[in-house]
Amino acid sequence: MILVVAEQRGGTLNRASWEALACAQQMGGEVSVLVVGAGVDAVARELSAADVRDVVVVNHTALADYTADGYTAAVTDVLSRITPDVVLFPHTYQARDFAPKVAARLNRVAITDVVAVKRDGDRVVFVRPVFQGKLLADVVSEGDAPCIVTVQAGAFQAAAVRRGASAAPIRQLDVQIDEAAIRQKPEPPFQESRQAVDLTQAERIVSVGRGIKEQANIAIAQQLADAMHAELAASRPICDAGWLPMDRQVGSSGQTVAPKLYVALGISGAIQHLVGMKGSQTIVAINNDRDAPIFEVADYGIVEDLFEMVPALTAALKS
Amino acid sequence: MDTLVLWLLVLVFAGAFVAQVAARVRLIAIAPNTFEITHPATRVARVLVEVFGQRTTIRERPIAGVAHAFVFWGFIAFAPYTASEFLAGLGIVDVTDSGWFAAYRILLTPCAMAVLLGILFLLVRRTIIRPAGLGTNVSIESVVIALFITTLMATFLLTWWIDESTTAGRINWWVHVSVILGFLALIPGSKHLHLVFSPITWFLKSPTLGNLPNLDFEKEEVGLETVKDLGSKAVLDAFTCVECGRCQVNCPAWGAGKTLNPKTIILQTEEALLAGTRDRALVDLYSAQALWQCTTCGACENQCPVGVEHLPILIGARRGAVSNGHAPDYLGAMYNNLERRSNIWGLSYGEREKFVETAGLETFDPAKHDVLIWLGCAGAFDADYQKSMRSLFEILRAREVRFGVLSKERCTGDAARRTGNEYVYQELATANIETLTAAGPKTIVTSCPHCVKTIGDDYRTFGYRVEIVHSSVYIAGMLNELQPDETAPASTVTYHDPCYLGRYGGTVDEPRALLARMNAQVNDPVRSRDNPSCCGAGGGLLFADKEEEPGTRISDMRLTELQKTGASTVVTACPFCSIMLKGAQASRQADVHVVDLMTFVNGRVRKL
Repeated sequence: MILVVAEQRGGTLNRASWEALACAQQMGGEVSVLVVGAGVDAVARELSAADVRDVVVVNHTALADYTADGYTAAVTDVLSRITPDVVLFPHTYQARDFAPKVAARLNRVAITDVVAVKRDGDRVVFVRPVFQGKLLADVVSEGDAPCIVTVQAGAFQAAAVRRGASAAPIRQLDVQIDEAAIRQKPEPPFQESRQAVDLTQAERIVSVGRGIKEQANIAIAQQLADAMHAELAASRPICDAGWLPMDRQVGSSGQTVAPKLYVALGISGAIQHLVGMKGSQTIVAINNDRDAPIFEVADYGIVEDLFEMVPALTAALKS
Repeated sequence: MDTLVLWLLVLVFAGAFVAQVAARVRLIAIAPNTFEITHPATRVARVLVEVFGQRTTIRERPIAGVAHAFVFWGFIAFAPYTASEFLAGLGIVDVTDSGWFAAYRILLTPCAMAVLLGILFLLVRRTIIRPAGLGTNVSIESVVIALFITTLMATFLLTWWIDESTTAGRINWWVHVSVILGFLALIPGSKHLHLVFSPITWFLKSPTLGNLPNLDFEKEEVGLETVKDLGSKAVLDAFTCVECGRCQVNCPAWGAGKTLNPKTIILQTEEALLAGTRDRALVDLYSAQALWQCTTCGACENQCPVGVEHLPILIGARRGAVSNGHAPDYLGAMYNNLERRSNIWGLSYGEREKFVETAGLETFDPAKHDVLIWLGCAGAFDADYQKSMRSLFEILRAREVRFGVLSKERCTGDAARRTGNEYVYQELATANIETLTAAGPKTIVTSCPHCVKTIGDDYRTFGYRVEIVHSSVYIAGMLNELQPDETAPASTVTYHDPCYLGRYGGTVDEPRALLARMNAQVNDPVRSRDNPSCCGAGGGLLFADKEEEPGTRISDMRLTELQKTGASTVVTACPFCSIMLKGAQASRQADVHVVDLMTFVNGRVRKL
């Protein structure tokens, strides 16, 4: 059995949890999901949509905020009662902080930053980068079960998670936590002030470049963004001119984004912009200059006047 | 009696001079030795041209420079006179009554007038005109010395009217001699120490701009961390600095209103050395902000009239900072790109392969190809710059030049080296040298001036020697085979000299020859040829975010200068300059077209 430890913060599920779940399903066999926190039943219900044996929920007031000691205590306690072969964590900052602690507490093997899983006979082989990604190593655990594994973000597709025919059963589990033994006292989470807009989390982005010509025309792009439920972003010249705030700038001197859909309006495609959005799953470029470098990276290139194209597109989406 | 008094005075004042100079020489002596004397002939020639010819002093500021040259040459003319007067006064030997000496005095008279004219102009300039480079406060000590020199000349000229044997004559003689002694004692503690040190500083200045020592990791060298790590040349530089501010007014960072002022860097060094704060961290001394604002354009060093080298200090201190993990975040991301993907943008090598395939490039084979084309990061990954590369390929193919590219090419490491990440630089350099040695090209052609500098100069220090030329030089070599397309409209352009091409490489005529050949009228901007102002991308600043860039954008400043030429087209010849100037153009929607040299030439050459 594989146990996936999902990650939530303040009742919001971290998307990387789905990727770890996809990895678990791909490995085959029974999969169970664990979510720990305080008042995380909603998160459990969200997870129960997946094709898994069950979702185990641990609710405890001491787990309201993440602490390495608290979460380690909760997970090790769960693992004394459920005995999976493999425990999968998403390779997040949180998991990096406490998954090794769990492994050490249980005296088990930890394999971190896994990018693929293979089978060699009846053995499970984990693939992880070494030497700063220069080489990939095949790793097999030779210790006792469970083996603690963290899964690198982006290595598995969240969209690949199989949904169940009906919601998986949710099981509440009580754990004993000695609150006095929690040595960390969490502060309110630090928010980087300069990026009030976090474009990195956006699933869809409509981005404008100098081809928009005037600040007043930004409204055209905004309407398209609204119709698509997308975030509005821009290339450097737009933010330099003050037409949009700096925190909406994409590129090497702004944010690096990788949404599912990136629509570039009147963006020529300077390298400093391209490096900030090349990771997008689908790139649509609208530009009236057919030689614009943006078309080198675009999946769909439209050589058209954006002032005709964009309102038409907005109208079509709305209808 | 006079003789005895003079002996006493000479001992006291010369003693004061020697003691002060010795204190500074001791600081130079205990510093890690960085003196180099390779290419002695070049060095001697440069001392003659720069010190005795006053080339750099005059070049940038012709009026003040000539005024200074009058004073300097006058000093040299006066040296035997002063020596003779002292020898006579000390009762050693008296030649002042000889006929030769009388003739010499006649010859000295116009020299004295020239010195007077020069020093009075400089005094007015310093106290009344007050150019920015000289700082906000009038230096009292410089005024005193100017008055000293005036007095020296006046007392000399008075000897034509006052007989030396009269009381007035004796007084005049004593004034002259006392001023010389006073001057002597003032020299070491002031910027006038350059009188003593600048010939040595010029001799020891590296013959190549931006010449940095390679760090030896086996010896655990990590760059410059504290004041005591500064090498002997840097210490000598600090005591030689004449505070003229040429470095300051030519610095793009200072010009754009940033914290960095190269003159301040040298003066802070001097202050720390004299204060004996040898354990002071250089990052604190210079401020981290200033340290990361240098584009390594080299203007400071190249315009310095006394042979000071700013880059080894700035980049050395960056090395110290990087070794301690104190690089700015944006550089950390770039270093990651270099470590993981061997290119500054961290893009996948599949994209380079795609370009190599679509551009129809062959893998270099010395038996088949005349030259190796080095794509560089921009040529391999920047879709915009690849247009310029395709233009270059078209020009070469039309003239049946056979060329190939490497199957695997890494960033030369320029951005790592100039920002102080010597470890990443050496990893890249070593790997590239291995690939290049195996490929065995005789000539490499590239469109990136930074690659020319790094492979041509920096790789040489690892023993790899190859002829590497910028594409403008290579194409200009076949000028006669290039006929302009007469149907192309006449065009007025301005040419932006990239720092690493014009200043570092001295390549200024070839790009202009190509433009002229294509019937373009070239209007040079205010700063051009071997002293261009920077686009703002060098030294890793291509990656800086706006927050790291207080003041104006350097690229904006440069674009304004280029626009003032009235030309509608800006031609440049470096991928970094191209990115920066196109960015500035787009941000301002400036009514000017920025184009790379190869694209411009290919667009106007008659197709064969």
